[in-house]
This record gives sequence, C-alpha cells and structure tokens, in this order.
Amino acid sequence: MNYLLHILVIICIYLVLGLSLNLIVGYTGLLSLSHAAFYGIGAYIGTLLMMNLGLGFLPSLALAVIGAMLLSLTISIPSLRLKGDYFMLATLGFQIIVFAVLYNWVGLTRGPFGIPGIPRPSLFGFQLRTVGHYLGFSVAVAAICLGLLFLITHSPFGRVLKAIREDEMAAAALGKDTPRLKVVAFSIAAGFAAVSGVLFATYMRYIDPTSFTLMESIFILSVIVIGGTGNVSGPIAGTILLIVLPEALRFLRIPDAIAANMRQVIYGLAIILIMRYRPQGLLGEYRFE
Amino acid sequence: MTVLELNNLSKSFGGVRAVDRVSMGFRKGRITGLIGPNGAGKTTVFNLISGFLKPDEGKISYQDQTITGILPWKVARMGIGRLFQDIHLFPHMRVVDNILAAFQKQTGENPLLALFVRPKVTAEEKNHRGQTQELLRFVGLSDKANELAENLSHGQQKLLSIARLLAAEADVLLMDEPTAGVSPQMVDKILDLIKRLAENGRTVVFIEHNMNVVIEIADWVYFMDNGQVASFGSPDDVLGDPEVRKAYIGV
Repeated sequence: MNYLLHILVIICIYLVLGLSLNLIVGYTGLLSLSHAAFYGIGAYIGTLLMMNLGLGFLPSLALAVIGAMLLSLTISIPSLRLKGDYFMLATLGFQIIVFAVLYNWVGLTRGPFGIPGIPRPSLFGFQLRTVGHYLGFSVAVAAICLGLLFLITHSPFGRVLKAIREDEMAAAALGKDTPRLKVVAFSIAAGFAAVSGVLFATYMRYIDPTSFTLMESIFILSVIVIGGTGNVSGPIAGTILLIVLPEALRFLRIPDAIAANMRQVIYGLAIILIMRYRPQGLLGEYRFE
Repeated sequence: MTVLELNNLSKSFGGVRAVDRVSMGFRKGRITGLIGPNGAGKTTVFNLISGFLKPDEGKISYQDQTITGILPWKVARMGIGRLFQDIHLFPHMRVVDNILAAFQKQTGENPLLALFVRPKVTAEEKNHRGQTQELLRFVGLSDKANELAENLSHGQQKLLSIARLLAAEADVLLMDEPTAGVSPQMVDKILDLIKRLAENGRTVVFIEHNMNVVIEIADWVYFMDNGQVASFGSPDDVLGDPEVRKAYIGV
C-alpha cells in the first residue's frame, strides 16, 4: 500500500516538473536540458534554509522558488541570441556546472555525502508524518502548480509564447518583446521546478547531487517528448507512463539485475518509436521540426 | 504629409552596396510602390526600416522621430508593420489566435497580471475577440476563424497576415509582394483591401513585380536599380521613363 502511495507522490513531483518544462519546450519552442539543475537548486536551497537557518517550510519554499528564478537569468539572458540546438547546448552546460557545484562545494552541500534528516513539513501546526499525509500534501501542491500553469498557458502571455515558438521573427515584427518574454517563461519554469525540488527533498528526507544529473534532465525532457508538448494532457500522459511503466516491470518475474537494464532499454526504445511514428508525442499538439 | 522618411540610407553586404544612398518619403494615406529588378535592394530597404538590419549610414525618421537602428519589436510598436513575402504566420495556431496574439500592450502578456488581475485581462480579451471578428469580416475570413492557419490557402494566408498587422495597430504597412502567387480573384480582393486601408489613412508601401498592379493602386512609384533610386514619380511617369523601360522591362 505504501508502495502505491509512494508512486503517486513521485507522479505529483514529476507532473510539476513536466508541465513546467512544457512551458519552455512546448510553448516557447526552446529545448532545455537544465530542468534537473533547477529542480536540484530548489531542493538544495529549500533544504539548506530549513536545516541551517531553521526557516519554516513555506518561507524556505518561497525563497527556493525565487532563488531558482533568479539563477535561471544567468543562463537565459546570455543564451537569448542562441537558437535551437545551440540554446540546448548552453542549457546543457548550465546543467553540468550546477551538478559540479552541488557535488564539489562540500562545505555547503556536503557534496557526495548528501544531506540526511531533512524535516518533513509542518503546516499550520499539522505535522506531515505518514506517506499518506505526504501524498495528500503533494496532490494539493501539484494541483495548485498545475492550476497556475494552466492559467498562465491559457492567458495572452501563453498565446504570445506560442507565437514565438511558431515564428519568432513574425512575433517581433508584431511588436512583441520576444527576448524578455523568453526570459520570463524560462524563469517561471525554473521556479516551478524548484517547487518540485523542495517537495522531493522533504519527501525523501535525504538529497544528494545524483538526483539532479544530466540524466535526470534528459528524463524530464523525455517525459514530455513522449507524452507530447504544447498542451496540458501530453505531459500528464508522459509522466504517468514513464513513472508507472518501469514500476510495472517489477511485477514481471525478472531478476533485478536484468530488470534494471530492461527498463533502460524499454525507455530508449519508446523514445525512438515515438520520434519515428508520432513526433508530436502521444497527446501533444506541437511537433519539433 | 510625409510620415516616414529615409535619408541617404546605405547598407553593404561584404563588398556589395545593396542599398546605396537611398532617400525616400512616404505620405500618409498614400500608396507607394517600390519596383525594380531582383537584387535592386527593395527588400533590404524594408529590412532597414523595420529594424531587422542596421544601416551603415543614413537616417530613418518616423513622425519626426529618428528610428534608425532600433529593434524590430520597437519599430513595430511605433506603428510600422511588415508583411513578409513568405507570409510568416503562426502555422499551428488557429486563425483567431494568430490575430489575438498581435494586439498591442495586452495586460495579460505579463504573466503576473494574467494571474492576479483577471477581471481586467478578461475584459480586454473580450474586447479583442470582438475586434478580431471585425477584422476577419474586413478581410473576408470569418468562416475560417477556427481553422489552423496552416490549412488556409496561400491567398487566405496573405489576407490573415494583413488582418494580423491591423490588429497590431500598424499605421504604416510595408508589404513585400502582397499579390505574389495568388489567384487573380484573390489579387483583386487584396488590392481592394489595400485601397480601403489607404482611404482609412494608412500609409502603404509595397514591393511589386506586376506592373498592372502598380498602375492600378500606386499613387507614387520609386524605381530602384543597383541599390539606388533610379526614378521617382507617378506610375505613368516612372513606367513611361525610357531608362526604366530599358533597365527593367527590357523594351
């Protein structure tokens, strides 16, 4: 039973990651490989504020979001002139730098030893103790984030982002300040990734840099590429599929050593098949060209 | 009244002077044609005005303000709209969304305001939707409102891009071959639209290769050759100029 609840909590965390990345990839048309970096930045800022400064959960969450949004500017502003693959390479560089900092700044992050004993949130006097409590909390946080992202993407702001994705030059020729809009979209996505990071840290009660690697960024990108981008249902489908399917494999009686590899194979195969036969993803509306 | 003025504008690419000391003036409510052989520098002049290229020398003034070398989106906000030869719609967006995206200074373009000042954003949106219906009626695309832009015919795409420019409140319309590649009926429709826009006080500048079109709608014509203005005047004068006929029409 707890195992099932655990999967559902993880799905909530990845829903926020997938749908926020969708704002950059599916709406603005920028491929990013740095989402795990912002996820990690959120997790570490939140954790360090709670554990070293003794801040409460909500202030730590708010500062983690603000921190991730501000740090996103260090990559988005210099990379604005880059298009397509080159923008993606810049985000890849950022991802690698963030991982290196988390791994090597031992004085602050304890590096590879990780940070254990992260307190579970206590909200308005109610202490979240069990996985069940935490699931209720994650569902609430994910619902708020998804609601906000839905409103953002269905606003005139979301529409202009789509216009930039479709044809940035035409958007500029219609008087849209496309560089500023892209920077804002990028930082909003980073802020939501930080929310996921704080959720993850306080749920697992332990973080180390290996949760926020390039592989993780690629995984989040795969979630939305397989599920589909440019709308809300695509990333939701991708998250559920990519989290649940590997878990389902556990129930086939395959030795563990093989199962782990099988998961990687299936996951790689899924990406290849989707790219070949359904480039817009399972339920997406935007296809990369 | 001259609203847009180019003064001794030059632009070189490598060793080639694509635009060579060009001076032009465009009057409010008038239709001005830019003609000339391929490579004469016509589209480059449009790119210089709309900010996609920075001139090496010279000055561009719009309503007595210097706009030389400012960014394309700022030029567009001042009211100078651009119709691209290859249209540049937002293909995977619906026709209505193509137009809705173009309105200027939308409160909801700021995500914070979109989230927290919803009544104002909703009211604005309602107003823009009304204007969009009017614009679609004006260009004759009302029945296509919910189609994806990529599913329109070439001519309908041109009509949509005109509607989009009007939503962006363009007072000066720089149109690069507005009638190229569309059916004869559609040409008439587009020309009729352009005339009505000029009657409403908009300043139209268009690049054109079809001389019948130039004669039909242009008030003034600039003939460009080798990056320079070779002739200027009424359509009859310019097209009757023996130099122009020799250089361009080949007779």
